[in-house]
Amino acid sequence: MKYLIKHITAYKYASRVSHCYNLAQMSPRTTQRQTCINSRIEVSPDLAMESRREDYFGNQVFQFEIQKPHKSLTITATTQVETRPQIADTNLDLGITCAEVLSKMRQSKSEDVLLAREYQLNSSMIAAAPEFRDFAADLFTPDRSLLSACAALTERIFNEFTYSPLATTIATPLSEVMATRKGVCQDFAHLQIACLRSMGFAAKYVSGYLETLPPPGQEKLVGADATHAWLSVFSPGEGWVEFDPTNNCLPSEQHIITAWGRDFNDVTPLKGVIFGGGSAPEMTVSVDVSRV
Amino acid sequence: MSDIPITPVSAHLGYPPLQRSGDEVYGPDGTMLPHWQYVMNTVTSLSGTVLGERQGKAQRLLRDDGATYNIYSEDASDSRIWGLDLIPNVIGSEDWADIEAGLLERAELLNLLLRDIYGPRNLIRTGVIPPEVIFANRGFLRACQGIRLPGDHDLTMHAADVVRGPDGRMMVLADRTQSPSGAGYALENRTVMSRVMPSMFRDSHVHRLAGYFRQLRNKMLSLCPHRPNPRVAVLTPGPRNETYFEHAYMANYLGFYLVQSDDLVVRGGFLWMKSLDGLSRVDVLMRRVDDWFCDPVELRGDSRLGVAGLLEVVRAGNLVVANPLGSGILESPALLKYVNEIGRALLGREPRMPSVQTWWCGDAKDAQYVLANLEQLVIKPTYRKPGELSFCGPQASKEQITQMRAMIQADPMRYVAQPLLESSYLPTLNGLALEPRPGILRTFAVAGTGSYSLMPGGLTRVGLEEGAFLISGQTGATSKDTWVVASEPERITTNLPEDTSPVRDSEFTNLPSRVLENLYWMGRYAERAESCLRLLRTSYTMLNGEELLSGELRQVLMTSVSQLATVAFTTPPATDEAMIDSLRQGDAPRAIAGVLNSMLFCADEAKELLSSDTYRVINDIRDAIPLLEAGNLPGGMTPDEVLDPLVTALMALAGLTHESMTRGYGWRFMELGRRVERSMQTAKLVGAMLGPGLPEPDQSRIAEALLLTLEGLITYRRRYGARPDLRSELDLVLLDTDNPRSVMYQMGTILRQLRKLPSNAGYLHELPPAEKALIECSTRVRLSTLSELADVDNGSRKTLLAEMKALDAALMEISDMIGDRYFDHRESSQQLVAARWEGL
Repeated sequence: MKYLIKHITAYKYASRVSHCYNLAQMSPRTTQRQTCINSRIEVSPDLAMESRREDYFGNQVFQFEIQKPHKSLTITATTQVETRPQIADTNLDLGITCAEVLSKMRQSKSEDVLLAREYQLNSSMIAAAPEFRDFAADLFTPDRSLLSACAALTERIFNEFTYSPLATTIATPLSEVMATRKGVCQDFAHLQIACLRSMGFAAKYVSGYLETLPPPGQEKLVGADATHAWLSVFSPGEGWVEFDPTNNCLPSEQHIITAWGRDFNDVTPLKGVIFGGGSAPEMTVSVDVSRV
Repeated sequence: MSDIPITPVSAHLGYPPLQRSGDEVYGPDGTMLPHWQYVMNTVTSLSGTVLGERQGKAQRLLRDDGATYNIYSEDASDSRIWGLDLIPNVIGSEDWADIEAGLLERAELLNLLLRDIYGPRNLIRTGVIPPEVIFANRGFLRACQGIRLPGDHDLTMHAADVVRGPDGRMMVLADRTQSPSGAGYALENRTVMSRVMPSMFRDSHVHRLAGYFRQLRNKMLSLCPHRPNPRVAVLTPGPRNETYFEHAYMANYLGFYLVQSDDLVVRGGFLWMKSLDGLSRVDVLMRRVDDWFCDPVELRGDSRLGVAGLLEVVRAGNLVVANPLGSGILESPALLKYVNEIGRALLGREPRMPSVQTWWCGDAKDAQYVLANLEQLVIKPTYRKPGELSFCGPQASKEQITQMRAMIQADPMRYVAQPLLESSYLPTLNGLALEPRPGILRTFAVAGTGSYSLMPGGLTRVGLEEGAFLISGQTGATSKDTWVVASEPERITTNLPEDTSPVRDSEFTNLPSRVLENLYWMGRYAERAESCLRLLRTSYTMLNGEELLSGELRQVLMTSVSQLATVAFTTPPATDEAMIDSLRQGDAPRAIAGVLNSMLFCADEAKELLSSDTYRVINDIRDAIPLLEAGNLPGGMTPDEVLDPLVTALMALAGLTHESMTRGYGWRFMELGRRVERSMQTAKLVGAMLGPGLPEPDQSRIAEALLLTLEGLITYRRRYGARPDLRSELDLVLLDTDNPRSVMYQMGTILRQLRKLPSNAGYLHELPPAEKALIECSTRVRLSTLSELADVDNGSRKTLLAEMKALDAALMEISDMIGDRYFDHRESSQQLVAARWEGL
């Protein structure tokens, strides 16, 4: 599927920002199941400096510096991308078992396993804990295939948690999400990763977009789409397989990947340091994903 | 610091063989090793008195150089004089050649390791080291992937802590690669030793340290190959850092700028230093801030010690940071477990110098062993948090061991264990006795063209007790100079290139604006403290005089003190004695102590510009501050006697800066600060003392007090005899341009200094705001009519009061204008997305 994505982020500041340094991860990376055809990022006000590079995780980073006093900042990312379905969406029950996965993760000297071990570890926003293990462990019986167990965990999160945009912020700790059973896509992705890592599996955080379709007979609203987040789990020999606990599905062509990392911190769409600006900057985001 | 007490006994210093392993001085057969003979014979032949004197001299020299090591604690002023033992750690040159070869190889190995970690990570891909050794370590900065330095080496500096193992061979206890400290202290130790024990030093044929520092300087300059005369700056966290002395000392010795976070800004893809002349580009940053703190955009978001956008400047190749950002990972002791495997993979052989045996709890077998043997082991974290100490099993209580076990089980990858090493023993002075103390040597290597060079010697630290476990500045230890001595008289010549780089630009006229601001305030605080102290002294003199004071006089004195020292006015007690107590125990002395502490803070911020003579005076002031506070009067001392040394020290400070500071911007700003403050204080004092119209003889007495405080009494008497006349007195303290303490004299000086500062006014003849304001207010003083000022109406001199108030306000405004124009008023920064940093 071919998409045109327009992602606009706007900041309004209470007082003047004299200069700022930012880092945007808004251009999709090219992966096994998608090709980024082109991606353009425009910023207002004018930039003093800009650069593009690939980061440690292979994500596209756009870094810029503004030296002009300003009270608002707008970043527009326009991207054309072609996506394909995940390869592994056949029969999940037939794959390598949980017990085999754990043993291979420990013992295998194959390069992809050694490198995947980075995603078994705690990261700044996700720390393994018994409560996460307890939440998921009954699904991950030794003889069950890892992917089938993952699909079941995805479903459990989908069923037991309520999607509630007002319940959490970026700073809400996972233990609170666990207690209130409420959150957004980012919380659910973090939660499932925490469960998997607490049991010794390797999982990474994937950020991107999801194409939403309007109810039958209605026009699609402009800006109605959103940035989205899900996760990917590593299965030795089978590679990385994505799951979306917010929608209880295996991500496919409608899931467009921007970046991946250990957690949200590694793939923050826009971060940086501003000088001045007063308190509580106001942020609005609008995303349009349209087929071309 | 008091000198070592001198016992009159001419003690013969004996140092018998230890009769166990680890004796640095004697061989196994009990004979003294040849390289120790000269030093031991010299030291043991010195009388106790001489030794005590030398020890005292060493402490004085260290103190005058401001050699301190700050201890992490709540109290910011808690800094210690660096401790230096007079007996050097002597190492024979053959032994040293072996040590040197081992450490040079190790630096090469770590350089290759660093490149692999931030490059292809082949050691992980091929299973040489478990991935978690790198991936689970907070010191692994993913943002630094792919950063390379110009030249043959990425790891610019390598330091190692080495000890002599039970087999007599040196082994590595730890690598220091973050921003290795200690080289400056080693140099300071050498400087002091060569002055305190000159002949022993000269005759020992000690290898010189200068070559190392020349190499270090050349290396830093070579890191920016494409620009002639690159600008190098040393980035320090500031005066509160425990090794700040060294940052200032090294910056000075190497001829680099000393900068802090706020002195720097990233603009247009380059790094700039904010200076009086505008922005000056920085090409190389010698970093003494931990890498993780260097850039709030990409590294630790809440850091105030770094520069926003720094990493991207490095990536673009417009700045080189040394040691490179990310190099802290090499300090992980977990790597020590795999050092032989790493050596085989990267060098094709195991490193020749062994490392201390290390178990890493991220390895299941190791963890099992460690948990079963906690009582015998030393436990260290793989990534140190500031102030975090090692855990010593043999010295731990049952409870501590249980606690440690739980910590390891909760996060095994974070811990390593090592055996408790019995390091070798060095003869060390304890009072006047020579006693064996465990010693550890920190060595320093710097990259050069093709290979590393090692400082011949290093920083030796010894424990304060015979069985001392932790030997570090943080926990109390003393240091020794390290002498690598040639066995034959002729010294091995070093093959280092001569320093051919040009002299640094502008001879420090181009200072960071922060330094200038601190010098300005140092001037203001010094002057404020001095005028308050003078007034207090005058008050005591009057209160102790023959004639008792009237209630009105006491009232005026109290008002003056409260205004000058800016403390709340208290009603003066009924008697002179009670008033003395009230002044001594009131808020004023504490306020003055506060002003002096602020002055010391500013002096520390500008430490690299102050000579050691100046520092000696500053130390005198620091030492005298506690005397100001009530209850601290040494026996028999009267309150005014306490003030004299402080006033003298402050005058000495003024004299020293006047006589020995070059007339660069630094001096000008300090001078401006002094003059502005002195005018303000004089205006306040004249208002407070002469404002009330007192009847005679009080009027004459208070006028005399004013003259005494302003050092004008002698001049006045010479000019006018003993006849008091208020108009003549005002003439002397306000208008007389020949009196260096008059207001008009200050105005003239301020104007001259302002005109020497760079100005970027838009028009040729328009004056800058501060100058305009100054001319206006000095003209107003100049045009005053003395009889109007002296006129009393209804018990007070209304015109005089109004004029003095206006003068004070105008000066305050001028001071603000100077600040607005020349000092950097940084806006506070914030993170766009305040991420949380759980567990980090």
